[in-house]
Amino acid sequence: MKEIMAIVRMKKTGATKKALVAAGVAGFTAVKVLGRGNLVTDPQTIEECKEKLLSMGMDEFSEAEDTEKMVNSFLDGSRFFPRRLFTILAHDEDVPRIIEAVANANRTEYGIGDGTIFVLPVFDAVRVRTGEAGDAAIW
Amino acid sequence: MLLIRTIVRPEKKDEVLAELSTAGFNAATMVDVVGRGKQKGIKIGGMVYDEIPKTLILMVVPEDAKDTVIKMILSIAKTGTEGTFGDGKIFVSPVDEVYTISKGTQGL
Repeated sequence: MKEIMAIVRMKKTGATKKALVAAGVAGFTAVKVLGRGNLVTDPQTIEECKEKLLSMGMDEFSEAEDTEKMVNSFLDGSRFFPRRLFTILAHDEDVPRIIEAVANANRTEYGIGDGTIFVLPVFDAVRVRTGEAGDAAIW
Repeated sequence: MLLIRTIVRPEKKDEVLAELSTAGFNAATMVDVVGRGKQKGIKIGGMVYDEIPKTLILMVVPEDAKDTVIKMILSIAKTGTEGTFGDGKIFVSPVDEVYTISKGTQGL
């Protein structure tokens, strides 16, 4: 029995839910969380991201200096971004399939910030309705 | 790999996270939660408050970094010299596998 914790983009909640149903896993719990990832130190990746963000952020009302300041604060790694934390309980043999489904649904062209998947061991689970425990309680 | 779940006072979270970030543990997830501890909530007059707001911080760190992170959280999240009820808890659980979605690889 394993617990899969997947941190994904807010916008990808729907895609993740669809992917889970397609993988044959209907049950999950999701929480809105704030998170940040490992610091990206590769200057080329940061430069690319910065250009993309600057081109998105400029309009006739915003000052170039302010926009750049804002974009820099996005990239220095200290800011927390809204994400969705999915918790899925699964049988051992289904874990690779679920990870594959979640990862494929969440990969974007932005790269950084797509999220992380953690797999944790679970000792027991009990279904409240029937009282059955162990593997029978998952689905 | 270990998952460190820390429950801290909301007013301490910024300090804890900033300190961890400068020590090289930048990645973290936080959720606002409510809870009570073994003090059974707080009693003020006739009112009992047993849903006290706290912040839950989730971090996955390599096994050898566990002691550093825990020591750091303990030193910052404690209030007063002796510590006070309501300062929080740290739970450590094992993590079998970690995948980074963007790279599609295993590992932090």
